[in-house]
Amino acid sequence: MTILPDGPVLRTGRFVLLAACLALPAPAEAQVRGVEVRTPRPFGYFLGDLVQAQVDLVVEPGFRVQAASLPQPGALTYWLDLRTVSVSQSDMGDARRVRLALTYQNFYAALDARTLEIPGFTVTFVSESEHGATTAKAEVPPWSFNVSPLREVQPPARDDPRDYMRPDGQVGPGDPRAFLMGAAGSAALALLGFAGLARDRTWWPFRARRGRPFAIAARRLRALAREPEAATGQRDALLALHHAIDAAAGRRLLADDLPGFLDAHPAYRGEAAGLARFFEASRRTFFGPGAGHDAFSLGDLASLGQRLARAERAA
Amino acid sequence: MNQFRSGDAMLTDWRAAAGRFEAAVGGAVLGQDRAIRLLTIALFARGHVLLEGDVGVGKTTLLRAVARALGGAYERVEGTVDMMPTDLVYHTYLADDGRPRVEPGPVLRRSEDLSIFFFNEINRARPQVHALLLRLMAERTLTAFNREYRFPNLQVFADRNRVEREETFELPAAARDRFLMEIGLEAPRDAGARRALVFDPRFHDTDALIAAIPGAVLDHAALPGIAAAIQHGIQASPAIEAYVIGLWEALVRPGDAGIRLPGIDMEALVQGGASPRGVAFLVRAARVRAWLEGRDWMVPEDIRAIFPEIMGHRVFLEPIYEMRRASIVPDLVRAVFETVPAP
Repeated sequence: MTILPDGPVLRTGRFVLLAACLALPAPAEAQVRGVEVRTPRPFGYFLGDLVQAQVDLVVEPGFRVQAASLPQPGALTYWLDLRTVSVSQSDMGDARRVRLALTYQNFYAALDARTLEIPGFTVTFVSESEHGATTAKAEVPPWSFNVSPLREVQPPARDDPRDYMRPDGQVGPGDPRAFLMGAAGSAALALLGFAGLARDRTWWPFRARRGRPFAIAARRLRALAREPEAATGQRDALLALHHAIDAAAGRRLLADDLPGFLDAHPAYRGEAAGLARFFEASRRTFFGPGAGHDAFSLGDLASLGQRLARAERAA
Repeated sequence: MNQFRSGDAMLTDWRAAAGRFEAAVGGAVLGQDRAIRLLTIALFARGHVLLEGDVGVGKTTLLRAVARALGGAYERVEGTVDMMPTDLVYHTYLADDGRPRVEPGPVLRRSEDLSIFFFNEINRARPQVHALLLRLMAERTLTAFNREYRFPNLQVFADRNRVEREETFELPAAARDRFLMEIGLEAPRDAGARRALVFDPRFHDTDALIAAIPGAVLDHAALPGIAAAIQHGIQASPAIEAYVIGLWEALVRPGDAGIRLPGIDMEALVQGGASPRGVAFLVRAARVRAWLEGRDWMVPEDIRAIFPEIMGHRVFLEPIYEMRRASIVPDLVRAVFETVPAP
């Protein structure tokens, strides 16, 4: 078992521990062609540092890693945790390379610079064929790294114990624009949502406004009054006002219902006489012997519509 | 508003007589102005009337008062379970000389002169009796003793109380359709009328009360003629015709007319009914009302005033809604009038 520096890795500042299995007589061992452990550096670690290690295993083609044989993330010893393990496999010529990326974390609170050993482990490879499964084991050797203390063991005495502490780091002024934009966007969304809710619940300003049927009728009556020669003008005008009254009452209003309508809608009480005359005229026009001497002229109807529309606005 | 032509002076006189008639009946029957008005309309529309109501609200008194004020012959029978049609037609007994005698029964006794036939508790009589009544009402004729009797002036008034259902026979739809109106009678709501009815001894002795009504305010023999004159004299404008047809359509197909009642499937509510005869009766009665109101043309109010009594019982609901008829039909009628535009 030798530990050799590897050319290209040295250029990148890595130190390579090459563990070649030289025990050739065992045929199972022969199926593992090489084991390499690479680390960025074997020294200069402090309490809490992450130690990266890359293990390259070269095996005969057809072998694959048995996942259960890989080290499990977790505490390995009281001072060492294995944080992550990831496996990647690739074909390399006529061999197969399995690369393990291991991340350890060191929790050793060292009082002086010293060497610690990360334990080795065994990885099992399996090759399945028609005649059965062949397994091969690769021993990953233990390897060492140096840890150093973070501070002096016996610092010079100081009057103020706070002087032992390092000052707090300065936090630079952050850029609040992104947060402001986010806040403004959220506020706009909230407002939009609230507007939708208000519309759904008919809160102000979406409170359902009562329609203004008399205003519509008044417009129609004015239009009809402008062309008095139309044959059906009178009937259309009466109908327009009827529709407005029906809409205001919420039901079909007959002449006899007028007192009840005025009680329910006192705003129109001022027009009681005009409305009574309108109903009488409508009755005669539609059901009776025709408009009599007290026929409503289109102009009268239009002005009644105007007055009703005004009462409607005041209501 | 009374713009009757001079030839219609007779109608004007009769309207005054109708007013006297209503006043005479109203003097004896308190707080039933609407029922009295409807009965008057039925009289002049020559229609039969079914009174419905609780026990003791004055159904019989009202009909007796109407019969008294109308004049003419008046017969009355009480419906019972064992009554057979023949009981109405003839009466058999052993005379003093020991021989059996057959004499005309209540219907035939006054024959042609009979103006009001009053059938009390009609739903206690059997369907056989209803069948006889059907012909009497529809054709105003009866075949008995090998001849046909005619009753040109006859009007059938019937009453039934809606409290009991034991030992009663529901009137068949055909019989109900022949009644012009079904008038629901309730005790008066007015406190003054209630007090008078309970404490005034005048209302305790029904016979004396009826006897106090001036008899024969109307000439019952002339009623058919004046009824025909009313039907011819009162005009219906195209607008009112369209209105009645619209009401009819909305009543039979309320869903299509846009009527919605809470908790009711409008497409499945009305099964049928509202016969053409019913709508013809409606217009007939509406003409009478227009005449009573002093017009010679109809207005929608005339239709509305009598619509529930005339059309209410002619609408047949799906069986699932039939039990709630008393609440559904008035709502439906109200909704129909709130929906159909007039004009």
